[in-house]
Amino acid sequence: MNLKLTILIAKQFWTYTLKSKPVYVMLFVICILLAYAMYSGWQSYVIQNEIRTHYQHQARESWENNPDKHPHRMAHFGSFAFRLKHPLSIFDFGMESFTGNAVFLEAHKQNTVNFSEASFSTGLLRFGEISMAMLLQTLIPLIIFFIGFASIAAERESGTLKIMLTQGASWKDILFGKSLGMLGLSLLLFIPVFVILFLWLWLSNSIVFTNDEWWRYMGIVGAYFFFFQVICTISILVSASSKTSKDALIKLLAMWLVFVVLLPKTTQAFGNYLYPSPSKVEFDSKMEKELVLKGDSHNPDDSHYKALKDSVLQAHNVSSVKDLPFNYGGFVMREGEKNSSEIYNRHLNELLQTYRQQNSVSRYTAFINPYIAVKNISMALSGTDFQSYVSFQEQAEAYRYKLAQKMNELQMEFVSNDATSSAGKSNSISKKHWVEFPDFEYQFFSVSTAVQSEISSIIALAIWTLASSGFIIIFSKKVKTI
Amino acid sequence: MFSLIAKQFIRSKTVIFIFVLILIMGITSILIGKQFLAKQEKTIAQVTRQQEEHIERNVAYHEDEFGLLMYYLRFALINKPDKLSALSIGQRDINPSLQSVTIRNLEGQKYDTDLNNPANLQSGNLDFGFVIIYLFPLLIIAFTFNLLSEENETGTWRLIAIQSKSKIRFLWYKLSIRALMIYASLAILFAIAILALSLELNGSLAQFIVLSVLYLTFWFVLCFWVVSFQRNSSFNLLTLLSLWVVLAILLPATINNFLANKYPVPEALSTMVKQRDGYHKKWDMDKQETIEKFYAHYPQYKNYTDTTEGFGWMWYYAMQQMGDDESLEQSNAMREKLMQREHASRLIALAIPTMYTQLLFNDIANTSLGDHLAFQDKTNEFHEKTRLYFYPKIFENRPVKSEDWSQFKPKYFSKNTDSHPLKLIWPLISIITIMFAGIMMNTRKI
Repeated sequence: MNLKLTILIAKQFWTYTLKSKPVYVMLFVICILLAYAMYSGWQSYVIQNEIRTHYQHQARESWENNPDKHPHRMAHFGSFAFRLKHPLSIFDFGMESFTGNAVFLEAHKQNTVNFSEASFSTGLLRFGEISMAMLLQTLIPLIIFFIGFASIAAERESGTLKIMLTQGASWKDILFGKSLGMLGLSLLLFIPVFVILFLWLWLSNSIVFTNDEWWRYMGIVGAYFFFFQVICTISILVSASSKTSKDALIKLLAMWLVFVVLLPKTTQAFGNYLYPSPSKVEFDSKMEKELVLKGDSHNPDDSHYKALKDSVLQAHNVSSVKDLPFNYGGFVMREGEKNSSEIYNRHLNELLQTYRQQNSVSRYTAFINPYIAVKNISMALSGTDFQSYVSFQEQAEAYRYKLAQKMNELQMEFVSNDATSSAGKSNSISKKHWVEFPDFEYQFFSVSTAVQSEISSIIALAIWTLASSGFIIIFSKKVKTI
Repeated sequence: MFSLIAKQFIRSKTVIFIFVLILIMGITSILIGKQFLAKQEKTIAQVTRQQEEHIERNVAYHEDEFGLLMYYLRFALINKPDKLSALSIGQRDINPSLQSVTIRNLEGQKYDTDLNNPANLQSGNLDFGFVIIYLFPLLIIAFTFNLLSEENETGTWRLIAIQSKSKIRFLWYKLSIRALMIYASLAILFAIAILALSLELNGSLAQFIVLSVLYLTFWFVLCFWVVSFQRNSSFNLLTLLSLWVVLAILLPATINNFLANKYPVPEALSTMVKQRDGYHKKWDMDKQETIEKFYAHYPQYKNYTDTTEGFGWMWYYAMQQMGDDESLEQSNAMREKLMQREHASRLIALAIPTMYTQLLFNDIANTSLGDHLAFQDKTNEFHEKTRLYFYPKIFENRPVKSEDWSQFKPKYFSKNTDSHPLKLIWPLISIITIMFAGIMMNTRKI
């Protein structure tokens, strides 16, 4: 392969393409869209996080302002967890619009995470959202195909291909050169996007960036670079293997449709069909039944709690719960909370496992569809993927459990066994306990967790990158000139 | 000549392949709709059984305290899906079709979602509406983009120019054979849908079909208009596909972002916080004060008094009631905000056929945001009725056994489906007419 020649061909392709007026129109439109996507992502980040922090504070203030009271009242007063948006969600909205953002955390009960953007949608969300990631994943490949389809097929039609080959250029030079030129063109959009994003993240007052986030950023830049490289090579190879440029165009558009629209949707639907997941009614009633089996702390005749009572009385060598050194009601509730949380968590993990299986069908198509690979990597690194959704739920539930148990323990410690009711001023404990209990704080998981959860997509993209160069080499040996 | 053109068209292997493909996609989408309906029906059956068991068990546990029993009991209201929702699932996968509520504070229960895999929601349903809105236009583009240009490019146009009386009539023939085939496949798919889902042949279905046909006509007219500029095949294909991307993806998605940011819904969170504080803080307040507020809302209960020292059920439910009463303003503001979104998107949709058709499909199938809001309103009514029914019984602490518990079956809500807005198809018809005029101008020169 002649490096000089390859670069010459790349340059020639570059300058030739930039002579055409429609290309400028496309570039202009894309730039406007990207600018809007960035603005809109940033706006959404600022507005939503402002709203959520505001209410997190308000709810907290209200919590701390509670007067002295019975701790079980505080267990029911409960707290809220509001999900915060990751700074990189400006770039990729991922699944965020479809996951709930707020959950009420109280004793005995695991509430659903409510108020997703989708639940406020009028139906337009069905058409998707404009984010920088969405444009880079769906629209730019289309533009690359629009520009690339004629790259070699048109030279073949006009006869210039023969001239190039007789003048000493090898097929390898031409294919690599054109791919390089094409990649250069796509970098024309790619570089400004990431430079502006960089500046935005760096300079913005409302975003604090740590090392972890910079690694995420670099990961995203890398993933998209390789993705574009793959897409550029595909467009050149298809153009080279087509008789006419019209054929090449049709083939490329069909590929785009299959990769970007049809395959992701059908495989997700298929995963959903293969691994059916329960409805809430089904989930709840299964849990309720199991809870009854395990022991119902609300049922006065329940055998589990009778046995528990006997053993506790025996252990403390007393004949009545009134003589126990701690509040027995708090003790029973602590036990009940432990049991019900165990059962809930087991069922929830089963449910999440089913969801993961549903998603796995589409995930594995990354090996035949580079779009899926980059989509999953991009979401994971932007903190808007399935794992982030799971992580929020887990953190909220962990906090809920801690809160309920803390209140139960306070009750055991400070409330007398003569207490009959949690109402009013009797049996109350100091409000300093409420203030002491920390507020919920959502933690994004680290970049290494994100990478681990998307390891298959990363391998798929790596294979695609290597294979696309490999294809050029294989192809250049077999291709026909005419 | 017409039959010759038809033969020439159908003989192509690619054409057959594309038709088979669209039929497969169409049938898949109908099966997905069927699966959706089946899942909903299964849930309905489950909730009916579950409610019966649930009431039985709790009645047995809490025989002697009506107030305590009512703390636990849940009553379901079901938003029964219209069969047409299988064709256009709309917002039905996101918003629950079922509310199972206790008579306690409703604002704390009303917004609970169903369990959903967010990845499924993100990918969206491959329903028949999707096939019509996204895939059929692509089919139309594939069959019409080179209607005229292929004749030019293969050199047959001159022959036609010499041999046929009217070149433009030849083009119309070519177009109509393609249109006929595409409408026929749409008809086949509708027939399959009717059989597979045992759809009722009613006005709603007719509206759905008319809307589909008009929408496809819009695309035919758009394609023919582009073709009538007599550019080459690649140019036409690029233009049409770009139009598809703009109309089916970019424009609606941009508008979606715009509306989401223009109308954020902080009211949802304020409702959530307010209903908690409205109820829970009453525990620390004077009992009589809360009961007075309750009397102010429901003067009919003034003859009941809570004489117990400390905790009493009347006080408890009065406190719960305050959760709803004090968050009413926030809750209404939230509904108002959602209505603003609904109005804005409908207004914009008038000019964009893809969005317009999607929203109208959802309307016809009762799967829009508006339908969900109507269901929530109905839930308010249902909840109010249930609690007013039980309040006196709780306050009097009637014997639990005196109630006929078997009568509490899940209730159904279905929206009146007669008044569908087919008169609203004028936006599509006007767009079609304008483009048709454009075609006539262009074809005069051919």
